[in-house]
Amino acid sequence: MFTDEAQEPVSIRSAWRTSQQSAQDSIGCQTRAVHSAEAEVQTLSTAVSWTQTQPHDEAQEQLLQPAADRLDPPGLKAFLQRVEDTVIRELDRNGRSHAFDEFQVNWEDQSQPVSCLHCLQHPSAQERGLHVTSVSWSCTGSVIACAFGRTDDGDWITEPSCVCTWNLDRRGLNPKQADLVIDVATAVTALCCHPQQPALITGGLYSGEVVVWDTSRTQDPVLVQTGMSADSHREPVYQVAWVPLQKAGEFGVLSACSGGRVLLWTGDLNEGRFVLNAAYALVPQQVPHSSYVSFKARGSSTVGVTSLALSPWDPDTFLVGSEGGLLLRCSFSSQTPAAVPSEGHNVTLRAPAVFVFRPRSGPVHSIHCSPFHRNLFVSAGTDGRAHLHSLLQADPLLSLRVSDSSVFQVQWSPSRPLVFAAAAAQGEVHIFDLGRRSLRPAATIEQGGADQAATCLAFNSQNSHLLALGRTNGTVCIWQLSHDLTEQSPREISQLEQIANQVAA
Amino acid sequence: MAGTEHDQVEETLKRIEANKYVIGTIVVNAEGIPIRTTLDNSTTVVYAQLLRHLTMKARNTVRDLDPQNDICFLRMQTKKHNILVAPENNFLLIVIQKHVNSLRTFP
Repeated sequence: MFTDEAQEPVSIRSAWRTSQQSAQDSIGCQTRAVHSAEAEVQTLSTAVSWTQTQPHDEAQEQLLQPAADRLDPPGLKAFLQRVEDTVIRELDRNGRSHAFDEFQVNWEDQSQPVSCLHCLQHPSAQERGLHVTSVSWSCTGSVIACAFGRTDDGDWITEPSCVCTWNLDRRGLNPKQADLVIDVATAVTALCCHPQQPALITGGLYSGEVVVWDTSRTQDPVLVQTGMSADSHREPVYQVAWVPLQKAGEFGVLSACSGGRVLLWTGDLNEGRFVLNAAYALVPQQVPHSSYVSFKARGSSTVGVTSLALSPWDPDTFLVGSEGGLLLRCSFSSQTPAAVPSEGHNVTLRAPAVFVFRPRSGPVHSIHCSPFHRNLFVSAGTDGRAHLHSLLQADPLLSLRVSDSSVFQVQWSPSRPLVFAAAAAQGEVHIFDLGRRSLRPAATIEQGGADQAATCLAFNSQNSHLLALGRTNGTVCIWQLSHDLTEQSPREISQLEQIANQVAA
Repeated sequence: MAGTEHDQVEETLKRIEANKYVIGTIVVNAEGIPIRTTLDNSTTVVYAQLLRHLTMKARNTVRDLDPQNDICFLRMQTKKHNILVAPENNFLLIVIQKHVNSLRTFP
């Protein structure tokens, strides 16, 4: 009774749903071709004219200074009479007041005394095991130049080395890559940046040559060099310095070598060579006698110069430290001829030594004159002490123990008269503050042991809180000093005067 | 009479300037324009403008703290010198005085 049925499906058309597809047609468009035409213009006549501003006339500023016959604003006299007493009383009180005498406001944060900002390396020099022999800041204070070489080898080395510069103010400073690398044939033993032109650097080489590089030239940075002439040094040049010459704005280069010669060169830019301006030779026989210098002339006939310092106060004076421990004050204008056989030099050699200080037992590695007092200078050598001398007496005023090993460099701070820094062979750098009661260092930069001996340091005279330090492992570290070590306090100059006046009568 | 008044004004100012360690004096009128000065013009204009604002602010501070109080005199000690300001409704007298223990720095 139930059977399967197959039914047809039934579909019901939607009443409301209609096809949404609307009519469609396609249109295209095309921009018309652009019309272009060429035309030329040529000036037919030209005229030149220029303008110049007149110098500012002082007489025109009378808006603020009424002429004597004009009337004063009403009430001025009454006002002045009212305030005069108060003001004069306050002025007197200020003159006598001792309030705030020692108060020094410190707006910057009080952080640690020293902190390392950058650690700059030149990988290819490090691979060759070169040490940093000298660092120098440019006159603008933003570029640090480093010389690579060796400080321990006694033999003649012919290994090529380099001079690298880094610009610390550039944004893309890469500590592993120098901004500029100048390749040099032999080790560079001394370096000094020009005090006025930021592109010039002078360097002394192990072979005795003195070179000036111009870092603004891209092709060949060597501007002037001494070459191996009869005039030049035969021994390594341990110090070079820029010396202002008679004509204002001109500088010469003073170089000192371990052969006992101190030579003053002027650059001849046309030929690219140095011309010898003056030559000084130091021989033991011509060292001025004093009760301290009791040694006879030894086998060596020269006084090897290991350090040199120019006095910023007296353009005639320079200080020389020797390998044998002698510390001499010399004069540029000395006329005594030197007792050495003339070796075909164009200029007669002169003996410059004027005064001898108490000698040391080992080579004097570094001397620096104080920028704040004309008579003071500090010297350091292998005895591990820093000696503070006055130009007026032979004995040191003060001897500070820096370290057990030798001290390679000392330098006065450019901003604080009583502060100087000393770099020691065991790697630490001590910063001394003479204003403190104790003779221990105010701050110490410790890093590494004897394999990272600190060989050279340089304060930045523009940004006085920066200190550059070169080490034997080929790195140059830039340290930042705190406010205490760089800001001058009110009584420092007078304290420095007191120290300098301790000269025995 | 204007002549002698002017002379008296000058005399008073000279007395103030003759004081030890005074570096300069400026008298400013009610609109903030300097009418007498012993410094150069650019410095004077800057001092007048800035110190006028500062004096008004100081005066408002004192009056806000206590409406019956008023400012008599303003003295600022800076690292390099002292700045003294004698304020009034109409005029302002600015005196710049050096410290007694002045610093000598390397040029």
